[in-house]
Amino acid sequence: MKHLKAVNKKAQQLAEAAEQGQADEVVAMQTVVGCAATTDPGWEVDMFGTVAGLCQPMEADLYGCSDPCWWPAQVPDTMNTYPDWTKEADSAAKDWRNLDSVYPDEEE
Amino acid sequence: MRSYRPRIAITLAVTAGLFFHGSLQAEPEAQPAGVEPLLASCAGCHIPDGEGALSRIRDQRKTAEGWEMTINRMRLIHGLKLSGQEIAIARSSMRDLVKHLADTQGLAPAESEPYRYLLEQDLNRVEDFDPELAIMCGRCHSSARFALQRRTEDEWAKLVHFHLGQYPSTEYSLYGRDRDWLGQALNETVPALAEQYPLDSQAWSEWQATPKPKLDGRWILAGHMAGRGDLHAVMSVESTKPDFYTLELSGQFRDGEAISGTGKAVVYTGYDWRAQLRLGDVSMRQVLAADASGDTLTGRMHVRGQELQGVRLKLVRADAKPQIIAVSPTHIRRGSTQLMVISGTGLSGDISLPAGLSVEEVVERDDNRVAVKVSAAADAAIGRGTVSIGSAARGEAVAVYDKVDSVAVEPAFAIARVGGNGGSTPKVNAAFRAVGVDFGEDKTAGTEDDITLGYLDEVTWQVEPWDEVAKEAEDVRFAGQMDQRRGIFEPAAAGPNPERRHSTNNAGNLQVVASVEQDGASVSGTGQLIVTVQRWNNPPLK
Repeated sequence: MKHLKAVNKKAQQLAEAAEQGQADEVVAMQTVVGCAATTDPGWEVDMFGTVAGLCQPMEADLYGCSDPCWWPAQVPDTMNTYPDWTKEADSAAKDWRNLDSVYPDEEE
Repeated sequence: MRSYRPRIAITLAVTAGLFFHGSLQAEPEAQPAGVEPLLASCAGCHIPDGEGALSRIRDQRKTAEGWEMTINRMRLIHGLKLSGQEIAIARSSMRDLVKHLADTQGLAPAESEPYRYLLEQDLNRVEDFDPELAIMCGRCHSSARFALQRRTEDEWAKLVHFHLGQYPSTEYSLYGRDRDWLGQALNETVPALAEQYPLDSQAWSEWQATPKPKLDGRWILAGHMAGRGDLHAVMSVESTKPDFYTLELSGQFRDGEAISGTGKAVVYTGYDWRAQLRLGDVSMRQVLAADASGDTLTGRMHVRGQELQGVRLKLVRADAKPQIIAVSPTHIRRGSTQLMVISGTGLSGDISLPAGLSVEEVVERDDNRVAVKVSAAADAAIGRGTVSIGSAARGEAVAVYDKVDSVAVEPAFAIARVGGNGGSTPKVNAAFRAVGVDFGEDKTAGTEDDITLGYLDEVTWQVEPWDEVAKEAEDVRFAGQMDQRRGIFEPAAAGPNPERRHSTNNAGNLQVVASVEQDGASVSGTGQLIVTVQRWNNPPLK
């Protein structure tokens, strides 16, 4: 972190953790079955095992996940697999209700 | 790909390929599996070898859910069409294909056994895997997802290439960019997978040669249902044709509330039971495994749509040799009187309880269920003891205890997800149970005389902020509601919440507190609950 300066609270938290060596204490592989352990910054949990470091709200950067295929096991990727997933939702923050589950449970 | 969208989803504002799981549940009209649908549907792309086995397909084995996901991927990415456009016909073809593939290229019982939690949707648990495989493969999805497959080394390599082509971020997301991901995947991960999960195995050869059990008959089941308590039931199973069954279940919880309903089941690979039941106004699913002799079914039943609310089960045939499969509750306090329900088979004869316990009254009894009012002497020796009825006995079946000295929350770490609010993804509740411990005569934790009491009934549940950050963000206020009596947490609504800072989601980091009142004092245990955002990709194997 020599060449980067933390400018907000979240970044300060990360810088402090790095200085204290906590960043290596990865809780990533300790999430429960089926959750993403790729915590940059994380889908279910952040690298500290909490939710404070996640995108807030998630919808603010949802297409920053689906477009570049980030967390494809949780978020349909529009890069390859579900190119039309966001077609009815120009703004994730406003139109998130139009985003469909790509593998919902079958009706009985 | 949109042509496969079921009509029921038309009202949804759907813009992507849409596939439904749950098609593995039995349908009486489904046709017996055969090789014809495989040839008709797959041979357009997959080339038959000299023996008629289709390329790629012949080199893999999977569970029914695994095959279903593969076929759905063929539909999504490669435009596979199954017997026309009508979704009902397509689903029927899907069932035939999955049945045929799981029966002929499935996993042996011993191969699926370590990873059945994923099939059972018992998801609030931490996996224990080889760290390298967990990082290379299990950082996006469960590790059980690959461990429930068997492939040749060449096929495992193809899976690596598929991942990189379809999901390029594999190489540059966390734990990808810090290494030569493709080099490591091909040179280290593939050989490890081929060694640990090979296509050819003794277990599979032996299972193929084993006569498969028929599962008709009356079965007894017992277990502890999260949020509800101990359950005892009889399930009658009738065959409609090989591997397909209809079910009738009738039983009750320990407090006397009745539960009953009907359902249907299909068995894959000769042992792998999938059933759906309607019990009152609740839809339930069973994922069970039969043993080779057809004497037991073990697994889990869960609420459809709320997979974390379930009951772990062992079923035995009602006419089996005398045995006790469950005693409810598994603990009784010195000096108290309570109803005890003993479940099993051949339960005729004298009832024998550990020293210090006596039967005050036989409330009900038949060969499979004995309900008795039991009292424990004030000076009864503490410890676990044997319960027997006639020749049926169960060791360490009930604990006589002095005090609940500690309470453990199970699971100790859990995930719930916001949902609903007009979106396509339902809320995912979290379900907790409390396990009690008496520290024994020495009243010291962690010593040999500690007595585990099993699940406690009278528990008060609440949530608190996990840390200062959660307190400041008012996570308790926003993230959802804990049912104080049942230990079921229902998360709050999905979507940005303008009442929160940055309009953030109703996520939260909570401490779950289970408290037991005893002699005017409270004993508590804690766990952690992460309430997080929804997922839009919900295949049967996550």
